[in-house]
Amino acid sequence: MHHPSYLGVFLTFARNSLIRDMTFRANFLIEGISSVSWMIMNLGFYTLVYRFTPSIADWDKYEFFVFISTTMFVNSLVQAFFMPNAQELSELVRTGGLDFALLKPIDTQFLVSLQRVNWASLGNFFVALLLLAYAVPRIEGFELSPWHFLLYPLYIVLGVFILYSVMIALAATSIWLGRNQSLYDFWFYITNFSRYPMEIYEGTWGTPLRQLFTFVVPILVVINVPARIMAKPLVSDQVFLASFAMLATAISLLGSRWVFKQALLSYRSASS
Amino acid sequence: MIKAGAKARGQQSSKPCPSTFRPDLYPDAHWSAYNLLIMSAIKIRGLKKSYRVYRKKEGLLASITGLFQRDYREVDAVKGIDLDVEQGEFVAFLGPNGAGKTTTLKLLSGVISPTGGAASVLGHTPWLRENEYRRRFALVMGQKNQLWWDLPAQESFRLHQKIYRIDSSEFQRTRDELVDLLEVGQLLGQPVRELSLGERMKMELTAALLHSPDVLFLDEPTIGLDVIAQHNIQKFLKHYQAMRKITILLTSHYMKDVAALCRRVVIIAHGEIVYDGSLAGIVDRFSSHKVLTLHFAEERMPSDLARYGEVLEIVEPKAKLRVDRSSIAKVLSSVLANHAVEDVSVEDPPLEEVIADMFALTAKNQADKVAAESLTPSP
Ligand SMILES: Nc1ncnc2c1ncn2[C@@H]1O[C@H](COP(=O)(O)OP(=O)(O)OP(=O)(O)O)[C@@H](O)[C@H]1O
Ligand SMILES: [Mg+2]
Repeated sequence: MHHPSYLGVFLTFARNSLIRDMTFRANFLIEGISSVSWMIMNLGFYTLVYRFTPSIADWDKYEFFVFISTTMFVNSLVQAFFMPNAQELSELVRTGGLDFALLKPIDTQFLVSLQRVNWASLGNFFVALLLLAYAVPRIEGFELSPWHFLLYPLYIVLGVFILYSVMIALAATSIWLGRNQSLYDFWFYITNFSRYPMEIYEGTWGTPLRQLFTFVVPILVVINVPARIMAKPLVSDQVFLASFAMLATAISLLGSRWVFKQALLSYRSASS
Repeated sequence: MIKAGAKARGQQSSKPCPSTFRPDLYPDAHWSAYNLLIMSAIKIRGLKKSYRVYRKKEGLLASITGLFQRDYREVDAVKGIDLDVEQGEFVAFLGPNGAGKTTTLKLLSGVISPTGGAASVLGHTPWLRENEYRRRFALVMGQKNQLWWDLPAQESFRLHQKIYRIDSSEFQRTRDELVDLLEVGQLLGQPVRELSLGERMKMELTAALLHSPDVLFLDEPTIGLDVIAQHNIQKFLKHYQAMRKITILLTSHYMKDVAALCRRVVIIAHGEIVYDGSLAGIVDRFSSHKVLTLHFAEERMPSDLARYGEVLEIVEPKAKLRVDRSSIAKVLSSVLANHAVEDVSVEDPPLEEVIADMFALTAKNQADKVAAESLTPSP
């Protein structure tokens, strides 16, 4: 009868996080500025590269800028909503703070996944919007269609869900391991793999790697699928990968939920 | 089956007031029905929890071999306890460090799952973590805080309102009432990290009671507080419990808390319940002696007081003796016969002392048991 209002709870989390961020204003600003400048430096680097080559693995300059802005959208969303929580989970397990989450009449995974919102990370979201608006009209032969407005955001969200699943499943293992602080390293490897067009993984080593990170741990579809939808012509050979991405999202979410629940069963709290 | 059940209920209703539950009359009765009948809020049967802990060896080399071959040890935190608590009771849960108090409270809150046994609180099995159950109880832990550290307490309260879905007017009424009782109204807007320990504890209590739980678990709520703050919290708990008639299980190492609040005391030591009864009963049960204070009229104190009992203190013209309970009458009459005594008092030893003695005794028994076990050769 009394279901908690998940939206209401989430908005309160977002609000409380904002209040907190505002009390540490200087920190908030520095964080926002540093992550934005890091992305701008990245962009400068690729501009430099494109001075020497017309295309990388079939992606020309403006197409690749679309790819980069897609990376920025996905990363900023994950870092704003999920990253701080996944990191916090390991700490909650170690200190026994997870006890309180388990007492609340609300889904525990929801609670620990969304408690904190890191608003400063959304700075890159707006940089990405600007970059997208700049690059898209400059792509040769690009024709905007309603499909772009529908599919692009949809696949960005699906990509965020895939990364979230991998992240929360990994963080949940800290319930078994007692501690798991490799999250940042892991995140670094993952984003390093996923932030290039999948065509570059080719050859004796490349192809198996691409297949592994597409079909087993589906992190290559996270950015590639939405980026292609926006940057490449919408043709039928995208359909296979796009359908697969949907399936992969569903499986990742269900799989990570299963891992999380299993891990919770063996939670042993901390003494005292 | 259904017919039999209906018949049984028919029979039952013809009796005026069933005082005991007859499982034979209710073959398919659910535990919650049982609970309704006897009004017991907490029901624990053979509850067990053991932790497998990794036995660390000393030194670097040992740590490295430990990576491949782990040596585990079972710690039995709770060893099959039985306990019933009626609705509206305020029960103190005492025991030495490491006795299993916190573990029991965590089991009853569903934070951890038991290794064996059963428990039902308000008709729910805690570790199933059902939302209906979680909406009806609260756990407050003195050593941990659940409020957002960097935010004013009122923001955490608002979050609780959303999670427990308390409607606004109800929420405001409850919050104001609690805040008034605990006298923390002017601190609501201050970040929690800037509050003193006592103030923070009051905020924690407020947060825990916002949803008006029926059962409250308090794990050392007064730990680290000064006498005044302890007293304030006691006063609040007493008042709140009398007003709401909720069921409370409290652990504390301060006898003052217990004496002020609880008529029933349960003592747990090494994961087993060793006493369940009144506070005064502890002394009768566990103390083997009384303290006899004599005020002599003579100029000179008798020098051979030791023959009456163990001399605790002599401040002329007074003496304090520790006398065996069984021989108190005999000792008293012989003292009165042999000396001029102006005043006499016979008292029980202080509760703290009795409990400390008892804890020490159970610790010793336990150590003996462990030693005996390790002596018996394993097959
Ligand atoms: N998470 C855990 N992992 C391993 N052992 C634990 C854990 N929690 C408790 N224990 C062990 O279980 C036993 C009981 O601990 P518990 O915290 O229940 O004691 P307590 O009665 O609350 O003591 P105190 O008065 O010191 O708070 C202790 O021996 C403790 O070392
Ligand atoms: Mg404890």
